[in-house]
Amino acid sequence: MRANRRCFLGCVALVLGLLLIAPAPSAGAPQGTVIYAVHITIAPAWFDPADNPGQITPFIIQYALHDAVIKPMPAGMMTPSLAESWTASKDGRVYEFVLRKNVVFHNGDLMTAEDVKFSFERYRGAGATLLKEKVEAVTIVDPHRVRFHLKEPWPDFMGFYGSPATGAGWIVPKKYVEKVGEDGFKQAPVGAGPFKLVSMTPGVEIVLEAHEKYWRKTPKVKRIVMKTVTEGSTRLAMLKRGEAHIAYKTDGPLGEEVRKDPNLDLVFSGGIATWWLQFGELNDPKSPWHHHKVRLAANYALDRRALSEAETLGASPLTGSIIPREFEWALPVDPLPYDPKKAKQLLAEAGYPSGFDAGTITPIPPYYSFAEAVGGYLGAVGIKAKVQKMERAVMFDKRRKRELTGICLCANGGFGNAVTRIDADIVSTGVHSVLKDAEIDKLFDEQSREADPKKREALLKRIQQRVVDRAYFAPIYQLQWPNGVSKAMKVSGMGLIPTFYYTGPFEEIELR
Amino acid sequence: MTRFILKRCGLALVSLFILSVTIFTLIRLTGDPATLLAAPDAKEADLDAIRVRFGLDRSWPVQYVRFVGGALQGDFGTSLYYRIPAGTLYWQRLPASLQLAAAAMTISLVVGLSVGILAAVNVGRWWDSAGKLIALLGLSMPSFWLGLLLIYFFAVYLHWLPTSGRGTAAHLVMPAIALSGYFTAAHMRLTRSSMLDVLGSEYVKLARLKGLPESWVLVKHAFKNALIPVVTLAGINLVLMINVAVVVETVFAWPGIGRLLFEGIEFRDFPVVQTVVLLGGVMVIVANLTVDVLYAWIDPRIRLKS
Amino acid sequence: MPGSIPASASRASTLLYPWSLTWRRVRAGARNLPVVSLTILGAALVAALFADVLAPHDPELGNLRHRHRPPAWVAGGDANPLLGTDHLGRDVLSRLLFGARISLLVGFTAAVVAGALGTAVGIISGYCGRWVDQVIMRVVDAWLALPVISFAIFLAVLLGPSEMNIVIILAGIFWTRYARVIRGEVLSLKERDYVRLAIVAGCNKWTIMRRHILPNVINTSIVLSSLIVGVVIVAEAALSFLGVGVPPRKPAWGLMLADGKEGMMAGYWWVTLFPGLAIMLVVLAANLLGDWLRVKLDPQLRQL
Repeated sequence: MRANRRCFLGCVALVLGLLLIAPAPSAGAPQGTVIYAVHITIAPAWFDPADNPGQITPFIIQYALHDAVIKPMPAGMMTPSLAESWTASKDGRVYEFVLRKNVVFHNGDLMTAEDVKFSFERYRGAGATLLKEKVEAVTIVDPHRVRFHLKEPWPDFMGFYGSPATGAGWIVPKKYVEKVGEDGFKQAPVGAGPFKLVSMTPGVEIVLEAHEKYWRKTPKVKRIVMKTVTEGSTRLAMLKRGEAHIAYKTDGPLGEEVRKDPNLDLVFSGGIATWWLQFGELNDPKSPWHHHKVRLAANYALDRRALSEAETLGASPLTGSIIPREFEWALPVDPLPYDPKKAKQLLAEAGYPSGFDAGTITPIPPYYSFAEAVGGYLGAVGIKAKVQKMERAVMFDKRRKRELTGICLCANGGFGNAVTRIDADIVSTGVHSVLKDAEIDKLFDEQSREADPKKREALLKRIQQRVVDRAYFAPIYQLQWPNGVSKAMKVSGMGLIPTFYYTGPFEEIELR
Repeated sequence: MTRFILKRCGLALVSLFILSVTIFTLIRLTGDPATLLAAPDAKEADLDAIRVRFGLDRSWPVQYVRFVGGALQGDFGTSLYYRIPAGTLYWQRLPASLQLAAAAMTISLVVGLSVGILAAVNVGRWWDSAGKLIALLGLSMPSFWLGLLLIYFFAVYLHWLPTSGRGTAAHLVMPAIALSGYFTAAHMRLTRSSMLDVLGSEYVKLARLKGLPESWVLVKHAFKNALIPVVTLAGINLVLMINVAVVVETVFAWPGIGRLLFEGIEFRDFPVVQTVVLLGGVMVIVANLTVDVLYAWIDPRIRLKS
Repeated sequence: MPGSIPASASRASTLLYPWSLTWRRVRAGARNLPVVSLTILGAALVAALFADVLAPHDPELGNLRHRHRPPAWVAGGDANPLLGTDHLGRDVLSRLLFGARISLLVGFTAAVVAGALGTAVGIISGYCGRWVDQVIMRVVDAWLALPVISFAIFLAVLLGPSEMNIVIILAGIFWTRYARVIRGEVLSLKERDYVRLAIVAGCNKWTIMRRHILPNVINTSIVLSSLIVGVVIVAEAALSFLGVGVPPRKPAWGLMLADGKEGMMAGYWWVTLFPGLAIMLVVLAANLLGDWLRVKLDPQLRQL
């Protein structure tokens, strides 16, 4: 009897002991697989921030694989990530970053200032020449402190280094890259981001797995599979069938179907690509576009709300400026209302009572239905324009060479601030600019030499106001997409980061 | 015989040379990949840097020599978009294309032949009308439309099959059906008319007069002879099938060569385009060569005549 | 000339001028016309010719506020637009009528161009034989080795999208089919008596090809064309789907199908059903016509 009781007590003690020692169910362990249906072919070149082309597309995956010193997050456009904090010297020539001490790369290496310096020096993507020109040297103060010495004060430094405009601030491990070489890195990239690459089938799919030692927090999802499906209808079919949880870019009737389906949610992305009408011939005194009233008429002729509804199911906010509101130093401008009567009146006043033939309207491919719709509105007030279809590379080429006739349905989706957009599209030396406004050129030159930020802002806003006053463009909207998300997702990450087109931050993505 | 083979090989090499020069020039005429690889508002200096990096700044003949030199050693250049060797991409995607073409060709032959024979044997009656209907559907429905309808019906509505991608046998069913549409119709029509011809021939009339069972007549004589033109057509159609597969590959996200080539042209990925067209051309030319040699070996008159 | 030749040769004379034979046969066959086929083709032709008058709306201008209106007999639709509107608010019926013009024109022209080129090449290659034949066949082989899609895209990029370029692209794809078939025909025709007679009589090579070979193979070309027209119209749809087809505003049936594919998923079935039916009917008509022609012109052509 006594032996039995002792045995019994012993067993109870053992069980209790085991319960205490046994690990509590880890509430933070990543679980589940999320499948994406992506609308573009994912290129291995995007695994390496050193080659970033300045477009937003590589970030579809870079936010998962890599991390940056400073990057846009839900908290703000310049959220310190790999850096704890940063300071600029009073003379604006030295920037110091204090790095976090607990950042571990996918291969286990600890991040130090060496990696930051290395990543900057190997950067050769968009804006590399500019950065290398302005930065004299990068010095390592201690393993977690790095300083950038500029040749002269350059207030835009953070705009380029600390934003997706360049990839120089996205950090890769020096030892690993030196060991495997450039090509090796592209095939087996290692970064500091919340997910690491497991496998890649070029043009087909990419498989990612959670990096449990990610410094910010352990990702909530264990695996992410990104499948390339270029056909929109097929992406929708995958969502409906349950083969995908997130489908990018379900616009037009696809988005309407997502809305109707009780198992799916229509979620809008962020975005900073502004779309506008550009009048290539406005400097030609013989062209109708030379008249301010005619350009103004084009502005009144467009029903921007209907366009946003038709193309993007209302996701795209309307705008009266070609510079996104969210950009630093941007002047928020409301669009002109839809008033075709006023447009016709303005045309009559300018001397074109029955309208005129504007030739062609060329959109950036493949936005042809958008151009058709715009052409329809212009046609309704008498401005006749035929949609010209051009192959993508051909169109880009002609745009650079300023060979596009008629109207261009143009856009600019690059990161930056008001300065970069004005530089590209408004000053007469701009890569895509068709304007030849001496006053604007003068103001722009002044602001580039202006040290006082307040005065600078005033100058930049004057430039933008002048553009609006003279109706140099007919801005339409800031493109954002509707995307399809399965109700099985608790947090899809869509639209969390302002101005970002894709899902992020990846560590927040969660299944129900 | 050896002379014949050598002569044919020589001609084949000439064809290859013409093909390679043509594709090389054509793709370069279409424009400059640098603009597509950079930001839309990149400065000219950035673009030049890209051109130098990928060897695009040299003159065309120099680029051609480099390419051919590399190709002979098995190096087809590195894809501008994917940054991995173009040859690797090609061999990776080829099995998918071959699998799809084989499946679609099988369907088109099995269905085409059987329905064609049934239609011929039952001329004017129900099977004949059914056959004509199938032929009409196959000839008048574009493959992308058929594909999307199949996805919508069998995947989304009935949940019987997966929507897209490559994986299990179930994934192959709908793309193969969509691709085979036109060819099934073509093979069915040819089988039917071919069978009708043979069934009306003297040999068959004689066999019937002799009192031989109809099934014997059909199987032993009619079927085999009707088969010949269909198989010939199928051989020609195989190349066409692989060419037009790009539409089905797009709809079903099938990772084949057609899609690789199409995107290569879109992205101005010169090495990929050159490699795909060249290797594809090599396969076709080698296949033709083999067939020619086989025919010549079987029938001495052919090699003597030339 | 016929009068001075003996009776046995008078049959030869009709063969020497086989044009008259063809016409006689056609007139004889006119009695059993393919009614269905001609009705459909006639309707399409009427639509194409009189679209300006018949169509209630402009096929190229739409109103975004009226997009995706359903056809008259479905809930939410009304008599105008009768067949509903597409994603840009354009009237489907009007587009269908104007589309007949483009699709038929493109299809027919491409078939004729491909046919002319292919037949000519086939005749020359088949008749001249030897090294000319070899060279031409090598060129045809090389042509077939070039992927048609890349060829279409190159042309679209270099020349820009337009109806003319689509015709060129489609003709460029299909001419080899004619060449091969016609060459085969010519090879057997070469051995016929009247051709040998002509050679012996001292006729020039080109004259023989023009007067004796061509009229006999033209039947094959015509029958082949009737089949190819259907394929061309469907090919136009595939090219539009890939983005290298007819310019976006044009209401070609194939382009309507390609544009409406997303609408199909969302339940806007009318945008694709009507052009799809139109294509199907025209292909049916062309094939029925081809079958009938084949039987009437030369029963030997069953192999097609």
